[in-house]
Amino acid sequence: MAQALVDAKSQMGYCSICFHLSAEPVCDICKSNSRDLQTLCVVADSRDVIALEKTREYRGKYHVLGGLISPMEGIGPEQLNIGPLVHRVNQDNIQEAIIAISPSIEGDTTTLYVGQLLKPFTKVTRIAFGLPMGGDLEYADEVTLARALEGRRSLD
Amino acid sequence: MFLKTLELRHFRNYETQRVEFTAPKTILLGENAQGKSNLLESVELLATLKSHRTSRDRDLIQDGFAAAHISAEVSREVSDADLAITLREKGRRTVSRSGEKLRRQLDFLGALNAVQFSSLDLDLVRGGPGVRRTWLDTLLTQLEPVYAYILGQYQQALKQRNALLKQDDRPPDTAQLALWDAQLAALGTRVIRRRSRGLARLVPIAQSWHSAISGKTEDLVLQYASNVPLTEDDPQVIQAAFLEKIQQRAIAEQHQHTSLVGPHRDDIDFTINATPARQYGSQGQQRTLVLALKLAELELIETVVGEPPLLLLDDVLAELDLKRQNQLLEAIGDRFQTLITTTHLGAFDADWLTRSQICTVQAGHIMTTP
Repeated sequence: MAQALVDAKSQMGYCSICFHLSAEPVCDICKSNSRDLQTLCVVADSRDVIALEKTREYRGKYHVLGGLISPMEGIGPEQLNIGPLVHRVNQDNIQEAIIAISPSIEGDTTTLYVGQLLKPFTKVTRIAFGLPMGGDLEYADEVTLARALEGRRSLD
Repeated sequence: MFLKTLELRHFRNYETQRVEFTAPKTILLGENAQGKSNLLESVELLATLKSHRTSRDRDLIQDGFAAAHISAEVSREVSDADLAITLREKGRRTVSRSGEKLRRQLDFLGALNAVQFSSLDLDLVRGGPGVRRTWLDTLLTQLEPVYAYILGQYQQALKQRNALLKQDDRPPDTAQLALWDAQLAALGTRVIRRRSRGLARLVPIAQSWHSAISGKTEDLVLQYASNVPLTEDDPQVIQAAFLEKIQQRAIAEQHQHTSLVGPHRDDIDFTINATPARQYGSQGQQRTLVLALKLAELELIETVVGEPPLLLLDDVLAELDLKRQNQLLEAIGDRFQTLITTTHLGAFDADWLTRSQICTVQAGHIMTTP
């Protein structure tokens, strides 16, 4: 067990393309041929990749920013993997960039920043926020409801 | 609503203490520095999750202990609630309602409502704008708990923007600053609108109490004084005005390394007969104004929440002359559960004393006299 932890620490690095945690220079998701190459999901953290992968709903690729813009912690856009993201979107003929970042103050600011940079090159979307499954409208709080209303869509 | 029991563990100077409230009025009698105000503070925390005396949880915990607990049973018209707060020396506080730990503090607010009236409240008239902002924010939190979340979001954006303005000596990255400007304006607009809307609801009630207490027809005006011009109550118009104002103050902000525009610098103007209340009249007249504001708060909370809130009177009766004391006591009647701290019973009406529960507070111990 102890050795496993030591190995994990020494072998763990970041994928050179998407910055997801990976033991090898290029992670399994980036290596895969069966995924949609033209869709890119932008997340803050490797844990978000793992959470999204569990849904088995998403077949595109990822890009991990490695944090959120937060001047209080001295994190500006230049500390995040934003440059490589713009480069990727520009080079790889990405048709859609989906920003999947939590709706906090820092998350919203990072989303706006990344969105502005990517807009000239591709379609940029943001995941919706709203009611949890099994949640009852009546018991939802105003904040969640307001977000859900903002992200409403037409019935097709 | 009625606070049935209150239990404190390692809170301020209380080791473990349980109090059962048996009458609409409870008088907490004791010398100074025995723990009377601490008890009211614990009720304030249950109602607002804030203390007007400190913003650090560490200060609320008894020396030598890692955590303090406050728990209470509140009976409401619709349903009863068991409330509990755990404050920690290190780490976040946790709150629970009816035994269930709440993930968001926002969900705790609204279970208990209370209006605090202490001798410090004269600062509402005499003190700086910060006192008035805190007062209005506390009231709004109780009227609409979601306001606590909105205000918190604004404060977070403000902190981040200030941190950006403080970085190095070089002017901050304009693209990033523009994003924080947009966040500040969007969130700030929500704060400004909620504040001015809340104040507008309070004004007529405060005016009628003010003339009832002063016995005169003085013209009391309460106005939300925003540093962003409020021409019309449209969020987009206010947001645009907010951003324009930020542009105007851009050089000053870079110079002072802090945000100069927004609700964190707003004020509430109290004027009587077109004169600022601070300059108007005697101390007695200023007290009349504060008393009118407090009674208006009680009434507004009762209207919005649908049940009378608790009233916490911290050492305040002694400061009022007999006439105002009686007016206050009459207004409260038996409708509002009231906790009163005092150092002596001399000032109270005899009839009042017989109908009140009297608790003696001594060095962190409370003894109930039947």
